[in-house]
Amino acid sequence: MSEPSQPGRPAAVRLIFEYEGDQVRLVAQQRVDVAVPGLDLDVSPTPRPGHYVEARSTTNQALSRVPVREAFGGSVEVFPEEPGSPITRVDVAEPRGAFSVVLPVPEAAEQVAVVRVTQRQPEAPSLAGGATSPVPGESEIDDIASFPLEAAG
Amino acid sequence: MTTADGSVLGSTQIFGSAPRNRAFNVVLLAEGFTAAQQNDFNNAATAFLSAFRATPPYDELSPAINVFRVNVTSTDAGADDPASAGGTGATARTYFDASFGGNGIRRLLVCNSATALQVALAQVPEFTVVLVVVNSTIYGGSGGSVGTYSLAGGATEIAIHEMGHTAYGLADEYPYYAGGNETGHDHHPAGEPTEPNVTTNTDRNTLKWRWAVAASTAIPTMSNPDCTQVDSRPSPVPAGTVGLFEGAHYYHCGGFRPEYDCKMRNLGVPFCHVCRQVIWNRIGPLATLPARATTPVSVIARYPEHLDVFAVAGDGRTMSDWWDQSTGWAGWFQLSGGIASPGGHGSPVTAIARYSGHIDIFTVGTDNRVYSAWWDVATGWSGWFAIGNLQCRPGSTVNVVARYADHLDLFTTASDGRIMSTWWDARTGWAAWFQVQGGVAAVGSTVTAIARYPFHLDLFVVGTDNRVYSCWWDDRSGWHNWFAVGNQLCRPDSTVNVVARYADHLDLFTTASDGRIVSTWWDARSGWGTWFQVSGGVAAAGSPVTAIARYSNHLDLFVLGTDNRVYSTWWDAATGWAAWFNVSGGVGQAGGQVAAISRFTEHIDLFVVGTDGLVYSTWWDGATGWAGWFQLGIT
Repeated sequence: MSEPSQPGRPAAVRLIFEYEGDQVRLVAQQRVDVAVPGLDLDVSPTPRPGHYVEARSTTNQALSRVPVREAFGGSVEVFPEEPGSPITRVDVAEPRGAFSVVLPVPEAAEQVAVVRVTQRQPEAPSLAGGATSPVPGESEIDDIASFPLEAAG
Repeated sequence: MTTADGSVLGSTQIFGSAPRNRAFNVVLLAEGFTAAQQNDFNNAATAFLSAFRATPPYDELSPAINVFRVNVTSTDAGADDPASAGGTGATARTYFDASFGGNGIRRLLVCNSATALQVALAQVPEFTVVLVVVNSTIYGGSGGSVGTYSLAGGATEIAIHEMGHTAYGLADEYPYYAGGNETGHDHHPAGEPTEPNVTTNTDRNTLKWRWAVAASTAIPTMSNPDCTQVDSRPSPVPAGTVGLFEGAHYYHCGGFRPEYDCKMRNLGVPFCHVCRQVIWNRIGPLATLPARATTPVSVIARYPEHLDVFAVAGDGRTMSDWWDQSTGWAGWFQLSGGIASPGGHGSPVTAIARYSGHIDIFTVGTDNRVYSAWWDVATGWSGWFAIGNLQCRPGSTVNVVARYADHLDLFTTASDGRIMSTWWDARTGWAAWFQVQGGVAAVGSTVTAIARYPFHLDLFVVGTDNRVYSCWWDDRSGWHNWFAVGNQLCRPDSTVNVVARYADHLDLFTTASDGRIVSTWWDARSGWGTWFQVSGGVAAAGSPVTAIARYSNHLDLFVLGTDNRVYSTWWDAATGWAAWFNVSGGVGQAGGQVAAISRFTEHIDLFVVGTDGLVYSTWWDGATGWAGWFQLGIT
C-alpha cells in the first residue's frame, strides 16, 4: 500500500569545503536526492562540541545542522605496517584539507554556515535513577564562515 | 601533478542494489594507475570489497550498501615518494597528486582531498565515503574526510578504520598519542568525550554503553596501575566482553574504551560491540524495518513539528524513527540495544513526553521484567534499566501516564494476570510495584489509564470474565474498587481504549466477543451510558480500536476490519457517527493495530504494519484530505 508521498520532504545539498587553519572556502554546492540518517543530524538547540554546518534563514536562524567529521584537526594518524604495532598521531603545523557534508535545506534556508561549538565547562555525567535529566555543560557557537545558498536549479 | 595529469573515465557499481539515495555509498577512486593499469585498479577494488564485506557488521548490512569504483587514469604510475621522508625520491604525475611522506613520515600517504571529493560528486553525487586507492606496494595511508591507502598488504584496514571516524564519528580507542612513550598523556582531561565509544565516566548506572554491559562484569573492568605508561597486560576477561577498560582516546589513564580490543584501537582486529552498534545505527536506518508481525506502533509529538515513532523489529529489537518538519524522517535505529519480549502480540515500546525535550520509553524485556530508558535533548539516549523485579506476562504492554511533568504512573499485568502499578516521582524516584485493588486481567488484555486531572486516574481492563472493568485513584481518597462497566462481553485479548474529550467526560471503545466495535461513555453529570455498536463496525480478531479527540466535540476512530483493511469513522457533536470508510486503500497485518496522533487540530498521522511486515504511514490534513500510504523509513 505504498505510494511515493511523504510529508514535508525537504531538499538536501551536497557541500564541499576546503580549509587551511580557520580559513574556509566553499568549493562546490549541488542539490542532491540523498537521505540523511538521524545519526548525521543534530536538531538540538545546544549542540555538543565540535564543528558543524548549518542551514540558516535570512534572519540567521539555524534550520538544520550536520556534524563535520575529520576536519580542522591538529594531528593526523600514522598507521603501522606490522599488525599489533601502535597507531600513532603526529601534530600538524596548520590543519588543511577538505570535507563534504549533505545538509537538509528547508525552503526557508538562504545560507550555510560552518560553525565551531565549544564547551564552556566540563559536562556533568548523566545522573542515576531513571527519568531525570542531567545538567549539560554550556556550549558556545562561533561562526567560522558563511556562504549564500544557491537556489535549486 | 594536477588533474591535467590524467582523466576520469567513469564509474562502475561493483556491489549492492540499494536505491542510491537511501544507501551507504562507498566510492573508490583510482590514483596513480595509468590507462594500461586500470584492470589492476579493478582488482584492487574487488579486493577491498572482499575485505569490507567480511568485516562485521558490514557483513549484515548489505541491503543498504553500494560500492562504486571510479576509474581515473594518471600519466605516471604510483605516487611521489620524497627522499626527505626516507623514500626513494621518485615523483609521479598523478590525478590526485598522491604523495608518501606527509609530515615527514613516509607511511603517511596523502592526496588532494578536495579534488577527490569533487570527482566523487561528479560521478556518484550520493556518495557517503570516498577512498583513494594508490597504485603502490609501499605501505601507507591516511585518514581525514577522504581515506587514502596503498596496495601494500593490510592497507585496506586503514580505509576501514578511517571510515569509523568519517562516517560514524567514532573515536580512536588507543591509549597513547605517539606510541606510548610520549609525555602529557598520562591522564585524560576532565569532561566527557562526545564520541560514542570512549568515556571518562566510571559509573555503571550512567555509562553511555551500559546497555551492553553484563551485570556480572566488573566496572572498571581493567584499570591501569601506572599512568606513566600504557597498560600492556592481557585482558582479564574473555575476548568480546563489554565493560570499561582504562586507556583510550590518546591517554594512558582516565579515558576508557568498551572492550579490550577494537578496530578503532588496533588494525587487524574486529570492531567492538559498541562500535558495531554505532555502525548499525548509521546504515540500518537507510533500510526499511521488517517489524514484528502485530507489533503495536507508538507515536508521540513532543511539539507539532516533530514525531517520534516506536516499534519492535521482527527479531525483537526495540526501534525508533523520528520526523522533523525541517529534516524529514531520520530512519529506524535501535534503542540502546533493547530487545522486547515476544509472546502474544509482543511487547511494544510505549513512550511519553513529559516535556518537549524529554522522552521516557517502556517495554517488557526478554526476561519479562519491565525496562525503561529515556532520551533528553541535552544528553541523548540513556541505556535501558529494569524497574523492579516484577515478572510480567510475556508480551505485556506497559502503559504510562504523566499526571504532571515530574511524575509517571505505570500499569501492566504480572505473569499471573494481576494488574500492577508503580510510579516515579522526580523527588522520590521509583516506587515498588503493587497490585491495583486486587484486579486481575484476562489473558492478553492490557490495562489502559487516563488522567483527566493531575490528581485523578481512571483505569480500564477486560477482566477474567471478559467484561470491562474500571477503577479510579484520587489524590484525596486513594484507590477505589474495580467495578464492571455494564455487562458487555469482550474478546478476552481486547484493549479498552479511552479518550477524555474534556475533563468530566470519558469515551470508551473496545471489541465485543463477536468482534463488534462497541462504545460507551461516562459523563460527570449523567454517569455511565449503555454500550452500543459504532456504525455497524466489526474489527479483525486481535485488532483494537484506536480513538483520538482532535477537539472536544469530535472523535476519530481507526481499526483493522475483518478484511484487514484500515478503516476509520468519526463522530461529531453536530452530525453524530459517520459510516466506516477505508483509509487510502490501506491494508494491515492480520491482528495488528493502527496508531494515530493529532499533532494539531486539523491534522492526523496514522501508522500501521502492512501485509509485507513493513511499517507504513499516512496523514490527513483538513485542507487536503487523506494522503497515500508510504513506507516509514528515511526521507
